[in-house]
Amino acid sequence: MSVEIKLSRSNRTYRPNDPLRGNIITRLPSSISHRGIHLTLNASVNLQVRGGSAGFIESIYGVLKPIRIVKKSIQVQPSGKISAGTTQIPFSIILNDGGKDDKFYETFHGENISIQYLLNVDVVRGYLHKSLSATVEFIVESEFAILPISPEMVFFYITQDTQRHSLLPELKSGGFKISGRICTQCLVSDPLVGELTVEASAVPVYSIDIHLLRVESIMVGENIATETSIVQTTQIADGDVCHNLPLPIYVMLPRLLTCPTVFAGPFSVEFKVTILVTFQTELYNVQTKSDPRALRKWVAMESLPLELVQSK
Amino acid sequence: MEFKLRDYRAEEEAYSLTRVSVSSHPLCSSSSSSSSHTQDNVSVEFFDPLRALSTEISEPVEDTFVAEKYPVSQPASHLSAKEWASFNKLLMQRFPVPKMISVSASSSKTIKGKKAIGELPANTQSDELNDSEKLTEKGFKTVSQQEYIKRLHELKDEIKRSWHSGDRVTSLKLSIKVARLLMDTCVAQFYPTLFVLATDIMDMLGDMVWERIKEKAEFADDGTKVCTLSDDFEANSICLEAKETCNNWFRKIASIHELLPRIYLELAIFPCWRFLRDDVTDNLMRLVMMIRGISDPLASAYCRFFLIHCAQKLPQRDTGHLVNCISDQKILLRQIISTKGTKFGNFLGDNKLLISLMEPTIEYTMRCIFKDPNKIADMIVRLELGKSPLELYGKVPWISIVLHYLLKVLPTEVVCSNALEILHLVDCSSDYTFDQCLNYKMVGLKLCEGIDQVNTVDAVIDEVIQAATKKKILDEYLKILDAYMDIILHYNMDRSLSSILSEIFERLCNEVVTEDELSTLQSIVVKLITHFDDMKYIFDLNYFVDILDVMHGSSRSIVCMHILTKATRNNHIDDPTTVKLLFDVAQSLHDNVDFSNTRSDDNQQAERLVARFVDKVDHGMELDRHLTFLVECRGAFSSMNDLKEILVHSSNLLATRALREKKNNLNFIKSCITFNEVTIPCIPSYARQLILYLETAEVSLFGGLISHADGILDSAVCCLQNVSLVDGLRKSNEDADGIVSLTRKLCSFMLLVPGNLEQGAMYIPKSILSLLDSQSWVTPKLRIRVLCSLLSLSATFAQNELPYHAIHEEVFGNDLLFHGDAIYSQELGSLSRVILHNMVDTIQQEPSQVTRGKLALEACNCIASFFKVNHEISSVCSKLMETAVSCLGGDDKYLQSTNNFVHKQSPLCVGGE
Amino acid sequence: MVLVLAIGDLHIPHRAPDLPAKFKSMLVPGKIQHIICTGNLCIKEIHDYLKSLCPSLHITRGEYDEDSRYPETKTITIGQFKIGLCHGHQVVPWGDLDSLAMLQRQLDVDILVTGHTHQFKAYKHEAGVVINPGSATGAYSSITYDVNPSFVLMDIDGLRVVVYVYELIDGEVKVDKIDFKKTPTATI
Repeated sequence: MSVEIKLSRSNRTYRPNDPLRGNIITRLPSSISHRGIHLTLNASVNLQVRGGSAGFIESIYGVLKPIRIVKKSIQVQPSGKISAGTTQIPFSIILNDGGKDDKFYETFHGENISIQYLLNVDVVRGYLHKSLSATVEFIVESEFAILPISPEMVFFYITQDTQRHSLLPELKSGGFKISGRICTQCLVSDPLVGELTVEASAVPVYSIDIHLLRVESIMVGENIATETSIVQTTQIADGDVCHNLPLPIYVMLPRLLTCPTVFAGPFSVEFKVTILVTFQTELYNVQTKSDPRALRKWVAMESLPLELVQSK
Repeated sequence: MEFKLRDYRAEEEAYSLTRVSVSSHPLCSSSSSSSSHTQDNVSVEFFDPLRALSTEISEPVEDTFVAEKYPVSQPASHLSAKEWASFNKLLMQRFPVPKMISVSASSSKTIKGKKAIGELPANTQSDELNDSEKLTEKGFKTVSQQEYIKRLHELKDEIKRSWHSGDRVTSLKLSIKVARLLMDTCVAQFYPTLFVLATDIMDMLGDMVWERIKEKAEFADDGTKVCTLSDDFEANSICLEAKETCNNWFRKIASIHELLPRIYLELAIFPCWRFLRDDVTDNLMRLVMMIRGISDPLASAYCRFFLIHCAQKLPQRDTGHLVNCISDQKILLRQIISTKGTKFGNFLGDNKLLISLMEPTIEYTMRCIFKDPNKIADMIVRLELGKSPLELYGKVPWISIVLHYLLKVLPTEVVCSNALEILHLVDCSSDYTFDQCLNYKMVGLKLCEGIDQVNTVDAVIDEVIQAATKKKILDEYLKILDAYMDIILHYNMDRSLSSILSEIFERLCNEVVTEDELSTLQSIVVKLITHFDDMKYIFDLNYFVDILDVMHGSSRSIVCMHILTKATRNNHIDDPTTVKLLFDVAQSLHDNVDFSNTRSDDNQQAERLVARFVDKVDHGMELDRHLTFLVECRGAFSSMNDLKEILVHSSNLLATRALREKKNNLNFIKSCITFNEVTIPCIPSYARQLILYLETAEVSLFGGLISHADGILDSAVCCLQNVSLVDGLRKSNEDADGIVSLTRKLCSFMLLVPGNLEQGAMYIPKSILSLLDSQSWVTPKLRIRVLCSLLSLSATFAQNELPYHAIHEEVFGNDLLFHGDAIYSQELGSLSRVILHNMVDTIQQEPSQVTRGKLALEACNCIASFFKVNHEISSVCSKLMETAVSCLGGDDKYLQSTNNFVHKQSPLCVGGE
Repeated sequence: MVLVLAIGDLHIPHRAPDLPAKFKSMLVPGKIQHIICTGNLCIKEIHDYLKSLCPSLHITRGEYDEDSRYPETKTITIGQFKIGLCHGHQVVPWGDLDSLAMLQRQLDVDILVTGHTHQFKAYKHEAGVVINPGSATGAYSSITYDVNPSFVLMDIDGLRVVVYVYELIDGEVKVDKIDFKKTPTATI
């Protein structure tokens, strides 16, 4: 005895103005009577502030009240009977009836912020019986108008002089220059692209990685709690690569872990890209792993803000 | 007992079939055109040690584990898949893998770790910790080759199993693990094998993903077929769902942190890009560029190799990626060259090993670049080799190893029409990645392939000679010139040739010649020999003979054999200087061959050639001189036993030639016979001696040298007596058969020889008879044969006129010598009686029933043929027939025909049945 | 119609360098169905040459043959004829009709081909035919050095045999023909 929701799209991805269609499928050993089949659509932004990042408010709030995006319920069938075997009951529900599009944030699962759209079915039965129910998450992609993306390339240089943290003496004295360009406006469906060239480096390069960072900010009263986390690391150079030979930067954005940059009132989700150059040194073994985030002396980096945009 | 009387002349006339002269016969229509076929059939070919190298293929270490089956689902993959498979096979054979392989700590985890499922780097990617972890685990561990390979097989099976049970995520995770192994180049010689095994897994995954997405595109959810994708489908014909799945695969793969496994995985499923877009060139070019990020030269070379392999699965054959691959490769190689001695990847200073491991990937790339004959012009331009195939640039330095494989695949026409420019290229591309001489050699070989298309031959050869002369090392000098010899010879560039020969000689005199140098020199000399038809001309070349003198060892032998082969191809060798030089050549060959060794093929070949040479030497009418030559040969080639036989034959032939000329030359013939009398005893085999004694005896009778003949026959009988001591010990039937048939021949020959009055006319037949009793190897069967012959001989001696006589007018037959001699007749009678009894006794000794029957018939035939059939004889015949019937039965055909025959001889007396 | 080449006593290279050129130009591959060779070739190259003319090659052993694997005698059946082959040096006396007749009975053949005397002969004797093709190179024999090169071609057609004799006399090829029939009743 089971019930299941099968959405019309296998990728379960819808735009706010798309009708959400599908079938409720019941599999029953014998026929049952019920008091109505109901569908509930529930979407909300869940916010939480994790320990450590927000400091003083930690003791006050653990989880903040979720922000509701939409909650609506419809009856698919009135009381009746469902016969034995497999039965398919089609449904159609409209996500956005008349409201503004911009509150339909895109589905997103971050560290502190998650935006989730759920569809629930209930087959309500008599008092003696438990309802049959099932939930399915569907994905919403916004319908923002397309920004005319003529990819805006930002040029960057990483040298011993652009670093704000202390470097190993040999790095400092020997010098290095890594230049490149990267697109800082990017469609979520497209890869982040760019190019990087090691022009000079006295100390051999050990690795070059591209970090995709996510910055989630939540208003907590007067304060803003900000959490920065690495979404993905992509190595683009392994070892001391040839100098003056451009290397491509090509980072596909992970679905669900990224979304278009959002600036809502109570929260925001932003992204950053960091180019991290690690140099070869004998010191790796000395440094403890205790503080991974500390900027180490054999690493040079450059961070750039990244604006993600939904495509059509 | 009386012998049947014969009249040979009358018989000849009565039974001869009449001949009619005809003008038309079955062979007359043979046209002259087809006759050329048979002209040069007798040619000698021998084992060329140079050729042997190329055909030698070592057994593969293990080649069963590479799947050779490729699904045909991916269009255009089939043909190149085969090529890929065979190339991979070669790759594994090429580098011998040590039993124990040192691997990096992280690889060792994958190989040794019992937990099969690794962590998927995607999504759960934590932070930079990953890096430091990798860094801290230093040092190598060792794994056995077997264990490593076994683990890879297990991984492959696990990947397959997970996939088929629907757990595609695990399949992917494990595949990434496999791809990570390729980051570890400290396995060195094992890397090519690892690559083959790992990419086999990559290909398998790629195929499975391709099939899955294709299925999504062709079938609806409920399993009904919606469409069939043609080989050249377009991306817009793919349904969204299939595209979605495809996208998810690329996203998953893109989330792999490390560069190398990410590239390998994307390449594995690269053909799937076609579900998303029609033109995938950009993606391919991006991957080519991404490989630049791999600094390890070995890892990046093999990664490019895999890229080229994967690109071949695409229907459109763009070549841009090939050009970029090779140019990136060149940059990397240039860097390796310029930083001698520094560490590259895991190759601490051992750049030679590194280069040799990279070599196959360069070869494969070059092969792919020039695969399509229609794109050659385009490629030449894109590789910046020239403006067009007809206009190449010289003087642009290349990495020599890349240049080598470029030259190897460059079409012959291009090489031939740009020979000078290419030589310039080779000239300015000199580094340690590849021996420059071998590049010169490659150009030479290419030019020889298209020998008639070479432009500016003079300039080319001048250039080559100049380049070669610059080489201080003799080996290099020779190697370069060797490759151009054919051209020099083809275009009759005598001046160049003579300057080369003099330079070679000069250099040879100034240093100790190594084995390698000798073998190259050998190749050059052999080319000379092969090219010219006339050995005389070759001997006349300046320094040729001097160079020959410097050579030694097996190279010298090989050259000698070539010279002799060449020289003996003509019918006659008559020029005295040439004969002298060839004699020296043959003698040096003889002296070089170790005859104490068991008779190897080489020895036989050498002996055969010397024999041919001796045979072909012709002193025309100067027979004396030729005999002197034979005497010289006997002295010079004393270790060659077969040759001594030839010398005897030659001397006999010489004597008959002298006889034919009918001059007064008895002394000369005597000399020939004496030569043989001296030579024959040196031959170890008594059976061979016997043959030659008989021949010499025949020839001495031609010349009327009766006393010589007598002496020789005595020696022959001695041989027969000795035969059992040496040859007989072998107890081989064939030998015994041969000796018996020679004995029978001796019997026939006796009819020509005047009976010796001192020893008695029947001395030799009697000796033979007594020999039968002393020789243990004579079986009853052989004994009957000899006895029949002796009986036949006695019967013939008894005739009034013998069937044939010696050709020399002073040699009288026994028919004349003993005509009407009662003692002679008596002696024959008593001899035949002894023989007859001996026969009857011998038959009873034969153990085999069938043979006994046959022998009885043989004896019966003989007796009935040569005796007048009287009572005594017919009773002997009857007894023999009875024996035959009891042994063979009445149906035997031989028995029936014998019976008929015996009846005819005496229809009244003999009742066989 | 089957063409059988009977050839022997070449004694190459001991007594002659090669076959006469005029013979060689007549002997081309494809014409002859069988070769029977009485022996004394003497070297392997000649064996190979004959083999190139016709793969069906039958050889008996002469006393000078290098290859000791050739048998002393051999029989071949071609069409209705059984042919016996033997070199002949072991026949006493050489070329003697009675001795050859014995051999013929022993081998039970219609045609006996032997050599050794280097003289062409063809006899009809008792119930069979005896042929000696002579020496194809004109090599000297045990008896004489005065020898004309010759060989024989037999055209076997049913019960009829036409024997062509090719003889090189003073540099010219002279061809003679001998015709004979097998009488079916002759052999039992």
